[in-house]
Amino acid sequence: MSTTKSSKSNRATTSRVVDHAALTPSAHLWVAPAGRVISCDILIIGSGAGGATTAATLAEAGFDVLVVEEGSWYEQGKVVPFSLDQMERQYRSGGVTVALGLPSVAYTEGRCAGGGTEVNSGLYRRPPPEVIERWADQWKIADLDYDDVACLAVEVERDINVTALPGPPTMASQLLAKGAERLDWSCDESPRWMKYPEGTVASGRRQSMTETYLPRAHRAGARILTDCRIQKLNMAGDTAVSVNAELNGHRQHLITFQHVFVCAGAIQSPALLQRSGLHRNIGRSLAVHPTVKLSARFDETINVPDDVPVHQVKEFAPDLSFGGSASHPGLIALSLLDQWSDFKSVLPEWRNIAIYYAAITSQGRGRVVSVPGLRDPLVTYHLTARDRHLLKSGLGRLSLLMLEAGAREVFASFRSAPVIRNRRDVAEGMHRFRATKASVMTVHLCSTVPMGEDLDRCGADSFGRIHGTNNVFVNDASLLPDAPGVNPQGTVMAIALRNARHFAEVTSARG
Amino acid sequence: MSTPRTLSTVARPTIDLILRHDLPRLPIAHRKTVTAFTIHRLDTLPQHLFWGVGLIAFVLRLISLGGGSAFVLWLSHRHIPLVSEFFRLVRSLSYSYIWESWPDTAPDGQLKMTTSSEVSP
Repeated sequence: MSTTKSSKSNRATTSRVVDHAALTPSAHLWVAPAGRVISCDILIIGSGAGGATTAATLAEAGFDVLVVEEGSWYEQGKVVPFSLDQMERQYRSGGVTVALGLPSVAYTEGRCAGGGTEVNSGLYRRPPPEVIERWADQWKIADLDYDDVACLAVEVERDINVTALPGPPTMASQLLAKGAERLDWSCDESPRWMKYPEGTVASGRRQSMTETYLPRAHRAGARILTDCRIQKLNMAGDTAVSVNAELNGHRQHLITFQHVFVCAGAIQSPALLQRSGLHRNIGRSLAVHPTVKLSARFDETINVPDDVPVHQVKEFAPDLSFGGSASHPGLIALSLLDQWSDFKSVLPEWRNIAIYYAAITSQGRGRVVSVPGLRDPLVTYHLTARDRHLLKSGLGRLSLLMLEAGAREVFASFRSAPVIRNRRDVAEGMHRFRATKASVMTVHLCSTVPMGEDLDRCGADSFGRIHGTNNVFVNDASLLPDAPGVNPQGTVMAIALRNARHFAEVTSARG
Repeated sequence: MSTPRTLSTVARPTIDLILRHDLPRLPIAHRKTVTAFTIHRLDTLPQHLFWGVGLIAFVLRLISLGGGSAFVLWLSHRHIPLVSEFFRLVRSLSYSYIWESWPDTAPDGQLKMTTSSEVSP
């Protein structure tokens, strides 16, 4: 197997052929040459938690790596976190994407350099040991050992600077902890991958992929091409040989490669594989953490529009977790929408309001289906009866938690919800709750190409290679056999690191 | 290259109708801005959603043209599968925009003299 580095020497000249400075604000970006064909050893499609980790690992191992990303590169600080502007620029379809079902589940996907790591809450959880062991056992994943994964997680934590806040958390976060303490429920501060150059919370800078692994990949010689969409892989039998790259909305380039890593996230990765004619166990087992929300009004000012609480209540984990969400006034209006006529009068007090969520580990599953003729895949999700019950239970307990924290009023996001002011109202609210009336959403999507050697349920082998192909790999959240019950980015990165290193070892040995 | 697509013609009157009804004191210029934003977001929906929303918007437009604006408003408060999703989507986008842009807007749409810079870093 060739692992040529010769093409690297050509990059300095080709990358200056066209001045795309306006389109490529970062020094890390590569500008495609004017010619029609680009070649590389390793093509990585997607630059999020999986793709960026893979890119840095393989570039540092000496491979000739090209990363293509459908979205643009935005320097941190240029876009207001959790704003509509951010949704417009850095999310797919402006953040308005939904898995159809009863109820439908709204979800979001990052669509920018760095993917979801640029837009999520930045909270970190290490992969739970029981989850890794269950995956290895039930999906027959070879050589997946928790101790190894833990070591990889430690490495990831160092690379992205996982750390606790340097000062007190926001009031909204403290109130969550206060409510949990009064109920004697387990609650802790989730660390974040942040740097605090001035030692204050306000100086925090997210250590997302555009700050960490992508610059690393670039320093190691990887080329990074943004605003570049790949519709499908061109297959010759069981081998992918090239892709047609649509650059800035125009089909311009043919990219040839020896290996391809599809790291476009749990929705786009299976969709791309399906469009390429790869269907076996692809896109059939979407897993998410369905989430319901409420707004809680307190006597004091608690709203911090551009940050999220760091505390999480884990008393009922892994089935149920509670935490805080972004709470700028636009999102508060959104959270009150389901019972607008009764809830709207509280909106002028948005400074005293914060949004909280109850997330569940779901037994339901969804599908990602690429429909011929449509660019976007059709996504569906089915909640089980147990999931619906858990959502109801979660919202009830979260309401109780908020009252214990001192909330004067709680506004749950479902149609016909009452204003909750006491425990009796909580009971009434739960009596009225139906999952089909609720605004259910999620930000954690995974499991659409589960890895393992169980050929009845796995789309990829134990290290991410699509079963039945010679050179097509997936290395993102799609590989996780089910939703891990915690913020998944740490797990995604640890698994991506594992698989990329395995690929480098095996390929180098062959080469 | 993808063909530009827009729901402006079919959706704009219905969005305007909803906003006038829900937020009667929202200034006209602001309502136009919100409507434009909402249409822009509808235009960027994934394709299957775009066509589904377009179909519902088209039917609602026909009802309105036939003198049924009051009926459209009545529908907007009913929980009819798919149809209510259209109204929910429009209100989600519009309200998010209004209260992010002008956070001290009253629930009836009356504006205070504040800007989004007060809540954004």
